[in-house]
Amino acid sequence: MTATLRHAVWVLRGNKVTAAAFAGAFLLCVIAALAPWIVPYDPIASNVVKALQPPSSQHWAGTDQLGRDVFSRLVMAARLDLAIAASAVTLSFAAGAVIGSICGYAGGRLDAAVGRFVDVLMAFPLFVLAMAMVAALGNRIENIVIATAIINLPFYIRFALAEVNVRRNAGWVEAARACGDSHISVILRFLLPNILPAMAVQISLNLGWAIINAAGLSFIGLGVKPPTPEWGIMVAEGARFISTGKWWLVAFPGLALMSAVLCFNLLGDGLRDILDPRMRT
Amino acid sequence: MSALSGTAKRAAARLLSSLPALLGVLVFTFLLMRVLPGDPAVFFASGPNAGKEEIEEIRRQMGLDKPIPEQLVRYLADIGKGNLGRSLTTGQPVLSDLRQRLPASLELTLSALLLALLAAIPLGIVAALRPGSLVDHAVRFFCSLGVCVPTFVSGLLLIYVFYYLLGIAPDPTGRVDVFTTLPPVVTGFLLVDFALAGDWEGWTAAARQLVLPAFTMALFVVAPLARITRASMLATLGSDFIRTARALGLPRLQIIVAYALRNALLPVLTIAGIVFSTMLGANVLVEKVFSWPGVASYALDALLASDYAPVQGFVLLMASIFVIVNLTVDILYGIADPRVSVA
Amino acid sequence: MTSQTFRSILATASLCAMMAATPALAQTRAETLRHVTGAAVNTLDPTMPGSTREAFGLSLSTYDRLVSMGRKQLNGKWVFDLDTIRGELAERYEVSPDGKTITFHLRKDAKFHDGTPVTTEDVKWSLDRAVTAKSLAAAQMLTGSITNADQFKIIDAHTLQVTLPSPDKLALPNLATVYPIIINSKLAKSHATAEDPWAQTWLKDNTAGSGAYTIETYKPGEQIILRRNEAWNRGPGGAQAGFKRLITQTVPEAATRANLVERGDADIVIDLQANDAAALEAKGKLKVISTPQYNAITFISFNNQMPPFDNVNVRRAIAYALPYDDMFKAALFGRGAPLYNGDWKDGPSAGTFPIPQPVKTDLAVAKKFLADAGMPNGFSTTFSFNVGQAGTAEPMSALLKESLAKIGITVDIQKLPDAQMSTLINEKKLPFFTEGVVAWLPSMDYFYRNFYIGNIRWNYSSLNNAQLTEMAQAARFEPDAKKYADYGLKLNALHFELMPQIPIWQPSQDAVMQTSVEGYTYQFHRQIDFRDLSRK
Repeated sequence: MTATLRHAVWVLRGNKVTAAAFAGAFLLCVIAALAPWIVPYDPIASNVVKALQPPSSQHWAGTDQLGRDVFSRLVMAARLDLAIAASAVTLSFAAGAVIGSICGYAGGRLDAAVGRFVDVLMAFPLFVLAMAMVAALGNRIENIVIATAIINLPFYIRFALAEVNVRRNAGWVEAARACGDSHISVILRFLLPNILPAMAVQISLNLGWAIINAAGLSFIGLGVKPPTPEWGIMVAEGARFISTGKWWLVAFPGLALMSAVLCFNLLGDGLRDILDPRMRT
Repeated sequence: MSALSGTAKRAAARLLSSLPALLGVLVFTFLLMRVLPGDPAVFFASGPNAGKEEIEEIRRQMGLDKPIPEQLVRYLADIGKGNLGRSLTTGQPVLSDLRQRLPASLELTLSALLLALLAAIPLGIVAALRPGSLVDHAVRFFCSLGVCVPTFVSGLLLIYVFYYLLGIAPDPTGRVDVFTTLPPVVTGFLLVDFALAGDWEGWTAAARQLVLPAFTMALFVVAPLARITRASMLATLGSDFIRTARALGLPRLQIIVAYALRNALLPVLTIAGIVFSTMLGANVLVEKVFSWPGVASYALDALLASDYAPVQGFVLLMASIFVIVNLTVDILYGIADPRVSVA
Repeated sequence: MTSQTFRSILATASLCAMMAATPALAQTRAETLRHVTGAAVNTLDPTMPGSTREAFGLSLSTYDRLVSMGRKQLNGKWVFDLDTIRGELAERYEVSPDGKTITFHLRKDAKFHDGTPVTTEDVKWSLDRAVTAKSLAAAQMLTGSITNADQFKIIDAHTLQVTLPSPDKLALPNLATVYPIIINSKLAKSHATAEDPWAQTWLKDNTAGSGAYTIETYKPGEQIILRRNEAWNRGPGGAQAGFKRLITQTVPEAATRANLVERGDADIVIDLQANDAAALEAKGKLKVISTPQYNAITFISFNNQMPPFDNVNVRRAIAYALPYDDMFKAALFGRGAPLYNGDWKDGPSAGTFPIPQPVKTDLAVAKKFLADAGMPNGFSTTFSFNVGQAGTAEPMSALLKESLAKIGITVDIQKLPDAQMSTLINEKKLPFFTEGVVAWLPSMDYFYRNFYIGNIRWNYSSLNNAQLTEMAQAARFEPDAKKYADYGLKLNALHFELMPQIPIWQPSQDAVMQTSVEGYTYQFHRQIDFRDLSRK
């Protein structure tokens, strides 16, 4: 464990981009956690008299169509966006790891059946699948999370399947079985911990992707409902004001969304380096 | 020769084994569409005085008055006959809609992929040559930037800058300026058809129209392609035969291009295949933003209208393309690297 | 110099081959009208179930009807006029003194696009089709007492009689709507089958009309190009259509449509977002004709059968708690006619419909009504709108939620895909929502009969009130203008008392066009009648 930590510190020191990404992601999480206490205005309180004002010392990021403070909304949105992304990814990660490792371990018919199912999911145009699911289940936040989780699921299942398949008949697994460990315990105590680090890299990359995905859903009207602040819907609404010169409505949410996704992506890359030193010979 | 026939056998086997997945996609989409709370009949009975009777009439025409299992059997039977149903949104048979719109989507996606590869491969190579260097980090950073912007934002911004402000780009209203005479349809790919007709003016018009949407899409996929190029270049550059070539004192450029790159491109090809099929399904928003008459925006409109047939047809088409692309990649792989077919 | 031609010249610089073609191109461009819209034409036969508004708009140009509506000035803007009906395929018409017979005399020079002369036989077949075939037409014609093929009688090759069971003010206007198109019956019949005697399948993708334009290309969901029918002379005073060529293109992004018209690439667009229209108007480079849609109403609606909205005091409470001014300003950018803040003295201010209601934001009054309803602490409910209207409904619902929270009503906002919204409305499952209605023939009784009676989709409030039903039906056949207006006053008073739903405004139709485009008239179907337009 300490070796990994030392390795991490070493990688971070040599890799400024990853270090910055780490710092950025950490900052984002802090902002999200403290959001209600740092916003200067109530993010959903309207004030039509002050609608569509450009950035000023009072409203750092201007005001929107209803006169709400864009900066406050951005900060509050960090909370929701991170929550959506994190829960979606956790969900697919957990389900994927469990399903994948059980099937990979069992092998045979179950393995083949799940493989088929994953093929079905993979063959879907995923964004359209997400749209259809949100449309079918209703655009509540839970459903956006579920839809995002489901379209990520096949990658995790596949990944876990492949990793477990490789290790299924490894000596130490045989040994554990010989010692009288049940199948469940072999999976939980030996196989899962072994494949988790490799999957963790995927998590970080998917976090960014989940945010983008939610934004896309908002753009076609299947995102979170008003007046909840969320980056995607703010960008989507703001984009419609581009040509009338209200640039702040799209620029600030766009930047927020972009930097969050960028952090997670670079972080994912960095994690790969830390967890799998062989990747960067 | 035996390697080739082995590849063919493998291909046939894979094709057969993907049929259940296709069937699964069909049934799943069918059920998903029925779960949608919207009733297409009510939506389309939009006349100012449409009453219960009109709604029932549309339901009858669409076969929605029958129980769902019966609808499913009828649907599958129809598909067997090559009939994908009729779209209420456009009023046309889904098959002819898809046939007309697919080339538009393919042309856009292929151009975007080509653009992305042209950028990603050199970037990946440069990054792999000096791993950990400033160049490597810069490449990684800029590629990641592309993935961070939702395509609808980058699309709208590009339109705003290049069409609205600068006036360089043509108006974002589809595949070709409305005032250009279209070439006779041969392939449906405008660039090919214009070239065949020898109409270079038209060709330029169509190409200009393609630039912005293709660029928007390419931005989004440069990152994975560059990343895989880099990784695979790194692996080959570290392998024995490169070391041997270096030891032999062969020119550096020759080593990189002729030996390393040729071997490193195989994994890139696989990823490009996957990226292609994902892009084709995921370019909904790009098509919307650029009024591109492709299959994805067609499916989106249908979905919001709960118009079952086009969505089902679209998903089936995408799944089939997914299977075909994978198969093609497999076969190419088998030909390029005979060891694969043995394994 | 328009930027379109400017850009062609730029292109020419790089493409010498185009040099010779440019003047010709500029010429045809001036004679071409390019219209962009967010939706698409989905059938060439407007009577098909599922027709879009764009399909209605197109059919006015490809087909003729017996008569068409005139136009009038309303607050300085041209709008359609239901009360002046002029001949289109009919050269003239006479209404019998008892009002039960209308005799149409056809033009003798009118020909279909294929050159066949238009005869009463075609007219009879077409009208028979409108009332007999399973289509959207029958339900509309019914509102003008036209229900049966026996009502149409051929007198001779150019004279046709329509008989009515009783005089109906809306019979003639109904014949001017988009449904009773006159079809080339010989051509259509040659494509009819035993199962499809009215050639509905064929006419969906083909036209057989005599209208001002013929179809050059039709790409469903993408674009339609029309070419002028040079023989057509059915405009006002025997005029031809103004443009030689029409292009209607689908551009889904509203902001892009605004860019297109601003840069001069599109000539006219009518479905912009309110903020874009306002911005373009402020820039002053384009002609912006903003007409309140005087035949349309946006409602905040409740299901009157569903608790707590079955309690009239709850409905009243909400009527006084809505932040009208803020909603009008923020959601609509003030582009429309408000239907609140009405000035009523001893009863309704007028006998027409809709009129501004005497309500305004007053939370104290709202709280009092809520207390009267026995719910002083409020309640929770959901408020729905459809994705298609998100542009205005989203800010509106956010404001509504905020304001209702002040009187203790907790609102959960639900954004539904359009098809789901219409299904839920049809099944009467939505408690509280916003929707709009439009009446092609906006007479007072038409509104009350179609939007407040019966278990139909359009009765948003699910109102079932015997008194209202009886008065609306009686008003329909009331020939005396004074008595009709009296019915109107009583109905408006009853509407306010029952408060089945809250009319909030009539949004404007913002037609944005190049300054060279002339003749735009706001039409009953809220589309452009391309035949009105010409270039200066």
